[in-house]
Amino acid sequence: MSLQTAFSEATETYQIPRLIRLAPNLYAACFTLMKMIPARFILRRAEEQGVLGPDTVIVETTSGTFGLALAMQGVHMNRRVVLVSDPVIDERLYRRLVDLGAVVDRVPAAAGAVPGGYQAARLARLAEVKAEHESTFCPEQYSNPDNPRSYAMVAELLLECLGQVDCVVGPVGSGGSMCGTVGNLRTVLPECRAIGVDTHHSVLFGHADGHRELRGLGMSLMPANLDHRIFDQVHWCSASAAYAATRQLHQQHALFMGPSGGAAYLAARWWAAANPSALTVVMLPDEGYRYQDTVYDDGWLRNAGHLDSSLPAEPVQVQDPSRPEGSWTAFDWGRRSYAEVMAGRLDVAQAAR
Amino acid sequence: MEVGVGYAPAHHGELLQGMFYDSGGQLRRALVTLPQPSRGTRAVFHPSYSHGGILGPPELTKVRRAAMLALRRFTTHPAPAKGGLVEIVSDVPRGIGMGSSTSDVTATIRAVADFHGIELTRGEVAQLAVMAECASDSIMIDDRVVLFGHRDGVVLETFGYRLPPMFVISCDTEPAARVDTLRLQPADYDDAEVASFGVLRAALRRAVALSDTALLGRVATASARINERYLPKPHLDLLLEACLRHGGCGIQVAHSGTVAGLIFDAQLPEAEKRVRRCAAELRASASSTGIAILGLIGVSAALTGPAVLEGAALTTLDNMEVLTG
Repeated sequence: MSLQTAFSEATETYQIPRLIRLAPNLYAACFTLMKMIPARFILRRAEEQGVLGPDTVIVETTSGTFGLALAMQGVHMNRRVVLVSDPVIDERLYRRLVDLGAVVDRVPAAAGAVPGGYQAARLARLAEVKAEHESTFCPEQYSNPDNPRSYAMVAELLLECLGQVDCVVGPVGSGGSMCGTVGNLRTVLPECRAIGVDTHHSVLFGHADGHRELRGLGMSLMPANLDHRIFDQVHWCSASAAYAATRQLHQQHALFMGPSGGAAYLAARWWAAANPSALTVVMLPDEGYRYQDTVYDDGWLRNAGHLDSSLPAEPVQVQDPSRPEGSWTAFDWGRRSYAEVMAGRLDVAQAAR
Repeated sequence: MEVGVGYAPAHHGELLQGMFYDSGGQLRRALVTLPQPSRGTRAVFHPSYSHGGILGPPELTKVRRAAMLALRRFTTHPAPAKGGLVEIVSDVPRGIGMGSSTSDVTATIRAVADFHGIELTRGEVAQLAVMAECASDSIMIDDRVVLFGHRDGVVLETFGYRLPPMFVISCDTEPAARVDTLRLQPADYDDAEVASFGVLRAALRRAVALSDTALLGRVATASARINERYLPKPHLDLLLEACLRHGGCGIQVAHSGTVAGLIFDAQLPEAEKRVRRCAAELRASASSTGIAILGLIGVSAALTGPAVLEGAALTTLDNMEVLTG
């Protein structure tokens, strides 16, 4: 009915996932840069609403792909972008950001040693940057409701291409992609299940904050955009398991994706195999290039101790979501709020006594 | 003296109504109409070459405005009428959301065009209808399924050429009530609702392309629910529950009226039996619910392929029919 048309700007292509069939009942939504969806949506909307004037500086605290997406969209919109990051930001990402014209403001390494760590230092520096400029706009991906809202386009694509979707599996960080995609899908498919994939020592679903090796999912602080009531089930995946699954995705499906997607693939493959009559979609948020010297390097994996363990066939079902144990665990969250689940956890503990 | 004659059907509310982005990124109010072609309006235009005014039914100001606007289109015609008289004969119930007003207006425009021997395109009729009544449904675009900007008279998207095959049980949820569309405030949709409408539009695209009545039912139900905030229907949950219990797909409503339709997939085994059982049950409880059953609408797709021909339910369906009583 309509002609195929050209894209008006590069960032438009980065946000569109490719839907690829991995098994008769399992499809992958493969993104080049998933964070482009909220970044582009938030910035364009801010401009429409007059919050982002011609001289307004875009400021954000990020060390990851959201900053890259902002810097790219900043090029199209001819805006200055200042990103406050950890000192440990990936060197290649840093060079790419600088080439896009973004100012990357790295907090000093010493900040990691004081209470609050980099997170506190970054927020303090962000406040300074805001004070230095007359007009700034901060997209605030962790609390801006336009983040989950922007993912309606993914729900649209899934509905148009697949019609019935029984389960969506994806890594959780800000909460935007899973809550936005599934929340919007449920307008038409209220029974659609959501499986969130987290990693050990992330606070999102009940673990105490701690060192996390697996990046791209999990958080140290609870983001306002995470609506826990979306999730039917939560999985925690270790770095070793995620890396192994990432490689299998590449070896068996020729899909060269990042390890947060690998973690989601692990959970999705298991759920789809256990539920053959249900159609499952797994979200794979970024590509493998950033991980060529790590996840895709056997030498690196061996030195880091990730080649020893074999990948479990299924997750260990846990009754207590706050216990970070095992390489792959699952918990029936049951679309409850965080408070409800934590209250239930106490009941379980009392019953055990 | 020569006259012009025009006809336009009624509709049964909407399958989807909300706010949608057009191809230029502009948000527009738009809807997808469920046609009800067994009812309609016939307009007869009696021209006057001396008198500039339009005479017509006094309560139908939109009809007179439509005739006036249509006449202005034909001033370059060799023998244009200056004014005239419009007669309206309609069996479309008024004020319950079945498009009586657009039916009148469209029939009138067609009658004036007919008198001048001119065939307007469907798009031209739509533009004139919107000018005459500010907001119009899309019954004049009768050759395809469209997302219609009912305040701008433009088609935002063509989904396909036929709706999926279905039976619709037609109900009036509040037979005593009448909705004055002129007084109805436009819905003030929030950002989350606009996002939902985009999702529903995508699902409807698939439903029409693949003749998927089940998915269409889900879309219509979701649209009805979102719009409950603006013009609630009594017993919507009761109707939906009855529909699903009898194997139906969902519910559609008139967003500016009191009618609602229970949607059944006509390709389901024993579809007609299910529909009749459901309708009988609703009729039996009518004294307590106050819901009136108006009839049954059948919408069928082209009968193609052996799989469809084997479906027993479809053999009883003509292209469109209404079984009342």
